[in-house]
Amino acid sequence: MTRYVMVADLRRCVGCQTCTAACRHANATPTGVQWRRVLDMETGEYPDVRRTFVPVGCMHCEDPPCMTVCPTTATRKRDDGIVTIDYDLCIGCTYCDVACPYQARYKVDKADFAYSDKPTDAEEARYDPKRLGVSTKCDFCAAKIDAGLEKGLTPGVDPEATPACANSCIAGALHFGDIEDPNSNVSKLVAENESFRMHEELGTKPGFYYLWDES
Amino acid sequence: MSKPGETKSVATYCYQCVAGPDLLKVNVQDGVAVGVEPNFDATEIHPGAGKICVKAYGLIQKTYNPHRISTPMKRTNPKKGRDEDPGFVPISWDEALDAVAAKVVEVMADGGLDESGYPRIAATFGGGGTPQSYMGSFPAFLATLGPVDFGFGGGQGVGCTHSEHLYGEFWHRAFTVSADTPTTKYLVSFGSNIEASGGVCGVWRHANARANGLKRVQIEPAQSITAACSAEWVPIKPKTDSAFMLAMIHVLLHEHDVGELDVEFLKHRTSAPYLVAPGGYYLRDKKTKKPMIWDPAKNKAVVFDTPGVEPALMGTYTASGFEQGPDSEQTLHKSCKVITAHNKLVDHVKSSTPAWAAEICDVKEETIRRVANEFLSHACIGETIEIDGQTLPYRPVAITLGKTVNNGWGGFECCWGRTLLACLVGALEVPGGTLGTTVRLNRQVNDRLDSVTPGEDGFMSFPMNPTDPQRWEPKPNIRNAYKTLVPLSADNAWSQALGPTHFSWMFQDKTPDNLPKATSPELWFVYRSNPAISTWDAPGVTDKISRFPYIVAFAYTMDETNHMADILLPESNDLESTQLIRIGGTKFIEQFWCQEGYALRQPAVKAMEGSRDFTDISTELAARSGLLEAYNVRINKGNAGVRLFGDNYDFSLDPAKKHDAEAIWDASCRAASAELSGGKNKDGLDWYKEHGFKVKPYPQSHWYLYPRLVEHGLRFEMPYQERLTRIGVELGNRLHEQDITWWDEQLKEYRPLPGWENIPGLWEDSAAIAKGDDPHPFWLLTSRSMQYSWGSNVTIQLMQEVASNIAGHGGVVINTGAATKLGIADGDLVEVTSPLRSTKGRAVLRQGIRPDTLLMIGQFDHWKTPVAKDFHVPSLNTVTPMSMKLTDSTGSSADLVKVGVTRIGSAA
Repeated sequence: MTRYVMVADLRRCVGCQTCTAACRHANATPTGVQWRRVLDMETGEYPDVRRTFVPVGCMHCEDPPCMTVCPTTATRKRDDGIVTIDYDLCIGCTYCDVACPYQARYKVDKADFAYSDKPTDAEEARYDPKRLGVSTKCDFCAAKIDAGLEKGLTPGVDPEATPACANSCIAGALHFGDIEDPNSNVSKLVAENESFRMHEELGTKPGFYYLWDES
Repeated sequence: MSKPGETKSVATYCYQCVAGPDLLKVNVQDGVAVGVEPNFDATEIHPGAGKICVKAYGLIQKTYNPHRISTPMKRTNPKKGRDEDPGFVPISWDEALDAVAAKVVEVMADGGLDESGYPRIAATFGGGGTPQSYMGSFPAFLATLGPVDFGFGGGQGVGCTHSEHLYGEFWHRAFTVSADTPTTKYLVSFGSNIEASGGVCGVWRHANARANGLKRVQIEPAQSITAACSAEWVPIKPKTDSAFMLAMIHVLLHEHDVGELDVEFLKHRTSAPYLVAPGGYYLRDKKTKKPMIWDPAKNKAVVFDTPGVEPALMGTYTASGFEQGPDSEQTLHKSCKVITAHNKLVDHVKSSTPAWAAEICDVKEETIRRVANEFLSHACIGETIEIDGQTLPYRPVAITLGKTVNNGWGGFECCWGRTLLACLVGALEVPGGTLGTTVRLNRQVNDRLDSVTPGEDGFMSFPMNPTDPQRWEPKPNIRNAYKTLVPLSADNAWSQALGPTHFSWMFQDKTPDNLPKATSPELWFVYRSNPAISTWDAPGVTDKISRFPYIVAFAYTMDETNHMADILLPESNDLESTQLIRIGGTKFIEQFWCQEGYALRQPAVKAMEGSRDFTDISTELAARSGLLEAYNVRINKGNAGVRLFGDNYDFSLDPAKKHDAEAIWDASCRAASAELSGGKNKDGLDWYKEHGFKVKPYPQSHWYLYPRLVEHGLRFEMPYQERLTRIGVELGNRLHEQDITWWDEQLKEYRPLPGWENIPGLWEDSAAIAKGDDPHPFWLLTSRSMQYSWGSNVTIQLMQEVASNIAGHGGVVINTGAATKLGIADGDLVEVTSPLRSTKGRAVLRQGIRPDTLLMIGQFDHWKTPVAKDFHVPSLNTVTPMSMKLTDSTGSSADLVKVGVTRIGSAA
């Protein structure tokens, strides 16, 4: 079996938002729709303050609450663990948006562009009306992964088969791969470092691991 | 160009900030650029694994931005000013080029210099020389114009790491300074926000270093992105960093045995053993005039380069010789007491204890002592490492300085402290230590190692502006008077922009006594620079720009500066035009490559209708100004980036003919290929269009100066600043001979051993503080934004969107506790007032900032630039005055100001 996951090394992330911008490019998401983004979190009180950058997005849960509540089966989980949305089936009810504990979903009802109601040439070239009125989110660049696999490439190793955010990361903080393969990059990273998954107590079993030094 | 239905990937570069270039590929569908991604072909050759910075992702919107100026325009309203409608009307390219050429001819016909002796033509480009990677062959055109004043700052001097540029190059060929990040283990960073300003290479190298065990201590008033990623944040009081460093030096010299330092390095690679005579200058040998050291074996003073001598590091001795003072003054000593420079230093820092510094810096004494001790304990003194087959010292400790620390008053002390601390443990210019990146004042500019040539007294040579009576120039060649006032600024094309560039603006209103009146340039070119926003006293500079009679602006969108222009020329931009640039070697900020070569920028898409390639614009301007032949000769000589001929190749252009951009860059590509291959390869533009870049190996050992110094038997000029002291006295003599006394405070900075000066006091209103009613109790600082810095991209919606994910981008950051005391809640509208004026913005409450400090990221307060004018984000530049009092001897100021803050409205 294969289960694709993302690993974010919080010790390396600098919050630069390059992954955010790369995702916006790769997936042609509308203004403000950031399937991948990085939180700037502050804890403690002056002068004992910690500032931490935390990449977030769809966690591609093993037991995704968004899928359970979807009345049309638009949200599905692939055999490789990637949680997808079929825009032809989605009715935009946003039950999933509410159910997702990670605030990973976006719904846009009206076309919105960078500079006005009118798209730029680049936006027009990538515009997809199917994205209006439906829930959208990160799909780990599934089409790219599939195309890469068809060419015999390895997701997480070969850029042509790897999600844009991981490809773009200038800190080497984001890694993608098959957690079921004990020899994969992500399996080794999780095995060799302390890690946690967000809101693990909810039982969603996220496919997104954070590396950190607990001490 | 793409054909309908075609999808292609086009290799190019992004050089929107000095931390570049990044090599990328543009994805093009049906002739439309739809995305960018790293050029993975460069993964193995690029020091940041071929990744690209967030700014590069803004290039698509930059290309298709509907706010672009799409045709040449001319002004119809002769009145200029913020409140004047310029009345721009579209004109043809022919009309625009003819108009500019006519102005060039008119101005040159009057002679290159005006009645004050200043160039009639001036030009201003944006930060760090990055616009040069987008202006094609324009430098060749500029080179044909005779004298041009490049000294009207777009922010350099006030917003750059200015003192570091000058002192860094002086002491170790370090226009900017970096840690040898991949191998260092302990890094003390005084406000160097490398994770925001270091670009891809900086972030990549530091992330790897942290994973390899680097401990970085970030010392700064506000917790930056870099502090967030550091092992420790030390919130120091602004502008007290030199006291911290003096205390570190004290700990090393007074709380440790001298044997714990790198004694070998100090004795043989620094001037620590040089003997200082009673007058404060080195004791010199009468015959050779060389400085002397004490030879304990022979119990006498000998010249510093006596073979085989193991000089004394400490001690007071009796010897004979002479002192070389200023202006050829010599003092003979038949017998006098002399002391080693190192001993002088030890005495100098005796009272600079951690307890003393703790009070000044508002940092615990034990923290200062611990940092000093950790610095020493990580230095691995005595260890070596193999690099390219050479055995070099391995000293994995470094100190870096950031903006506000290494510019303006205090910059001298901090740069000295940083360099000295490295010397004490032998960690200057060796693996793991503190390194320079590149040179701009010294030559050859492409290889700083080759700039290392023997100078006087066993030190590296330096192209100091002369201060002797015969050669000092009382009459400045340009308006900021760099050559007259700043010996360290040297005298080449970069020097003009590295003098006191704010003086060019300040002196427009009132030129100080006994300097020729600072005139307005009769013709001003401006490109990728917006001084009306990016300089201090931005509204004041705006007013001065409005008085310039003829401004030619290469214009992307309207902005606050080109609002005053007479002619707007829209060049084809980043993804639409052609240029070849040099890459690799070592370069700022953390560009340490093991390759060197060239990269091409090429049109990924058809250029916007109405725009023209910058090279073609330059050629037309040259031709219409009657300068074509001289322009072509300049291109042949390398003014467009590559010299077109070499020992065994010649791709020179026919000087008599007009050549289009393709022809010019094809010749450049062929020359570049030949240069890299010793004449064997002649790949031209087509090859570079397909492959993007061509490189050859560059040895890692060239990252370090140390082997070259050993080869030449040279020393670092540390710790004692005998030469600078002499130069300062001479400069004072020359200025006083001209009845110039307004530079006297700056002259005090020339001294042999920097100590603590009350730097914060320069900004503080001590009378108001004493009365307890200080109207400006906060320090206002600024910080680099990776998303915006130098990108000319405040009109890029994507940058604004992603930048807003990072705290502080939307307003003024204030400590939560301090804000609460003032009744300010997160998001409240506040007014921030300095003695100059006020700026307004939203309060961003954070714990990670000192209670006496405010922070405004980036440079904003736009009123004309599309998109940005709707940000309503405040800017330090609006409230910071330009001032002689706040200018140091290098001609720089520090970007901070004292302010008060008042709540004026509730959260939106």
